[in-house]
Amino acid sequence: MSRVYLYALLSAAPSCEAGVGVCAERLRVVAADGLVALVGDVAEPPEPTAVILRAQDAVLRRLALAVEAVLPVRFGTLVDDDTALAESLAGRRPQLARALGRVAGCEQMTLRVWGESAPAAPVAELDGGPGTRYLAGRRQAQAWARRVPELDPVRGQLEALVREERAERHDRPPLLATVQHLIRRGTGARYIEAIDAARAALRPWRVSVTGPWPAYAFAEDAA
Amino acid sequence: MTAPTRAGAREILETSDDSLLDLVDNLLNRGVMISGEVMLGLAGVDLVYLRLQAMLCAADRVSRREEP
Repeated sequence: MSRVYLYALLSAAPSCEAGVGVCAERLRVVAADGLVALVGDVAEPPEPTAVILRAQDAVLRRLALAVEAVLPVRFGTLVDDDTALAESLAGRRPQLARALGRVAGCEQMTLRVWGESAPAAPVAELDGGPGTRYLAGRRQAQAWARRVPELDPVRGQLEALVREERAERHDRPPLLATVQHLIRRGTGARYIEAIDAARAALRPWRVSVTGPWPAYAFAEDAA
Repeated sequence: MTAPTRAGAREILETSDDSLLDLVDNLLNRGVMISGEVMLGLAGVDLVYLRLQAMLCAADRVSRREEP
């Protein structure tokens, strides 16, 4: 028995043929509760192999050429049939429509910051009792985990290009942080130029840039 | 077999296929949905059929991101 594999939510049905999916199945579009989903009928759940991951990415890239907004769904999401899909989307329309609006006309660039060691986290004097200090310390640590000061020298040049940012610090060098930026489609070349122009100022840290990608990191609200 | 050294691991990381690293990061960072089926039986007789769907991901990927 085949099941429905969910690839992405779209702002509208694509104007062109959707093509085939990761299992060579014919892709189709399901409209439910004002939302449009890109699906394929598969006999087995796709496994997360390099080939399948590349194929899934290719499907989303192809769709991005035909529709304004593509909201990638969590890998491996299967539902029984179109009715079950409609039920799973029901009630989440406002949240998903907002998420689609956020990525409309946009794509993602990914920066990785490499280096021998991360800059030291700022240490602030904390007031209050031990419990208050502990919680305040945790709050500071969480805030630091999303700060990437290594990129400060290039932020001015990127400001006009970047609409949103996701950042995550890593514990083990040499990979110090991963940052995803949501940019307008078609501005990827300017983005890369800005990074390249700032490489000397970014030292001692090295920054690698990849993209453009579908807006994977900005699709938290999708299934 | 030689155990990989830290320097060796670093070399692999820094020279790895960036696009594959990105694919894994992009597609699997939010977790993976796993589907499975279990049939419980006794003496060759199928008694209970379970269809499972689980989300496998880091805890901080499930909780909603705090708005700045």
